[in-house]
Amino acid sequence: MDMVLEVNSIVTRFGSEVIHDGVSFSVKGGEVVALIGGSGTGKSVLLKEVIGLMRPCGGEVHLLGTDVWNSSEDEMNALRRRFGMLFQDGALFSSLTVAENIAVPFREHTNLSADIISSLVGFNLDLVGLTADTGRKSPAQLSGGMRKRVALARALTLEPEILFLDEPTSGLDPVGARAFDKLVRVLSDSFGLTVFLVTHDLDTLLSIIDRAIALSGGRVIADGPVDEVMRIDHPWIRDYFSARAAVVQGGS
Amino acid sequence: MPWIEHKIADGVSVLYLEGTWRLSNLTAISGALRELGLRVPDRRVVLDGSRLRELDTAAGFILFRHLELLGCNGSTLSVRGFDRRYMRLLALVHERMKCPPAAARSMHLDLVQRVGAATIRLWHLLKTHNAFIGIVSLDSLNLFRSPKLFRAKETVSQFEAVGLDAIPIVTLVTFLIGVVFAYLLGVQAERFGANIFVVDGVGLAVCRELSPLLAAVIVAGRSGAAFTAQIGTMKVQEEIDAIRTLGLSPIQVLVIPRLVAIMIALPLLVFVGDVAGIAGGMLVSAWQLDIPAALFTARLHAVLPMSAFIVGLAKAPVFAAFIAMIACRMGMLVARDARSVGENTTSTVVQSIVWVIVLDAVFAVVFQRLGV
Repeated sequence: MDMVLEVNSIVTRFGSEVIHDGVSFSVKGGEVVALIGGSGTGKSVLLKEVIGLMRPCGGEVHLLGTDVWNSSEDEMNALRRRFGMLFQDGALFSSLTVAENIAVPFREHTNLSADIISSLVGFNLDLVGLTADTGRKSPAQLSGGMRKRVALARALTLEPEILFLDEPTSGLDPVGARAFDKLVRVLSDSFGLTVFLVTHDLDTLLSIIDRAIALSGGRVIADGPVDEVMRIDHPWIRDYFSARAAVVQGGS
Repeated sequence: MPWIEHKIADGVSVLYLEGTWRLSNLTAISGALRELGLRVPDRRVVLDGSRLRELDTAAGFILFRHLELLGCNGSTLSVRGFDRRYMRLLALVHERMKCPPAAARSMHLDLVQRVGAATIRLWHLLKTHNAFIGIVSLDSLNLFRSPKLFRAKETVSQFEAVGLDAIPIVTLVTFLIGVVFAYLLGVQAERFGANIFVVDGVGLAVCRELSPLLAAVIVAGRSGAAFTAQIGTMKVQEEIDAIRTLGLSPIQVLVIPRLVAIMIALPLLVFVGDVAGIAGGMLVSAWQLDIPAALFTARLHAVLPMSAFIVGLAKAPVFAAFIAMIACRMGMLVARDARSVGENTTSTVVQSIVWVIVLDAVFAVVFQRLGV
């Protein structure tokens, strides 16, 4: 399959602090790829650079065949309809109900009738495991897990080719987090959706991920299937995966 | 493009799907489905995907929904020739055909309902305001017992923001009102050759009514709104809960310093307003009415009773207390979302200004009766 996302030697600096010092990787269509790394290694910053929210100091990003940082605003707008983004806290619009939140992309980017939109909104709610009742609530009335599901439904409305998730399971209880993981995997398998996610969650990593990319010290230190990444001899990777082993041993 | 073609073969309706069945073409697709005129539900229907280029869930959903409206169900419908990926997608969509539509518009209340809802809201608000005044009073009493809990630093910094920073705008506004008032009065007085009475009018009106009212309205708009926004944002960020968990009282930490600061600042602002308003009147008198400044001050000394000046100043702390209470209360009432900060801030300004004017009217009547 073609490359959906190509990142070439990204450099990011905040003042004199170097965050990324030549980060390169690529993602194929239909893959579920996780970006891992300790706090402060610039995972979320990288995500923002990939989707065109923050300009890197150097390097190139090709997303769905568009050069993100050398395109006109029109090309970028066309691109924005082809990917979905799930922000860490959902970033739902607080002045709209859940159903209205999900309807926003339909309203803005299509000219469908209100009748069709409300059926599609109901369908999207059901797709992420929520009932139509939830549609009438306001985002403030939802729990963290439900907010993420609504945000996922909104990100999925325009049938994106690639979905970006920023720490999708943070703040969820383990049961909710696993359910969310499964949902992402099912969506990816059913729609051939490419998923690129930033995560700290080892369970996510071990259950639904095809490939992991590890960032440390501003560089990619590992890139491959999770079981291969686990075996790489690097202090951070050792600590990261052994934290998990310690929990399992302590529990047994 | 013909999105769909209907052929009958061996007594079976075959629907050939063609082209790109994606969300972007959905309006055309649903139009094509309506024009199809398929009407025989007792015949078996076969969906053929061999000519299909692309398919997404939205299009799949609309297709199934339309077929369902025509009376097709699982037993009369079959599919063939679809890509494996699209088969999975269709299965996923088909499972979810029972899901009800979610109304994507908020409910619109009619006039009576809106008036009713607003009245009930207002009633609750007034009721909880009372409770809030009670809590603040109790906490203030506590402060008399243990004065160490009083936050002097916070109070001073609030005083700076509420009082000192408001001096230029209060000066400007009252000065201009003094000018306008003296001018209007002068135009009338000149006709009767009663120029000198302009001094009586300006002095009394500025000190007793205009300056307290204007200063209170400015503070309500400036500081009342700021209080609600500050406390409301803290509420959104769960800072108020954090204060409580640390064993502190949000009333003592946030409300009382603001209340004290504004109650001290407003009378001082009223005094600034008195001076600026009279200065404005003096300027117009000297220019337009041939009353030199010396004559103006002499006349002012003779006719402006001390009581008028004191009444003006005395009203200020009462206005201030209402503004602070309403503003802090509305801040505490903010829900956990961004919109409610804006709504409550608006509500603070409206409530404070209305209360200031209502109180002013009450004071006018009471002082009249008392003969002050």
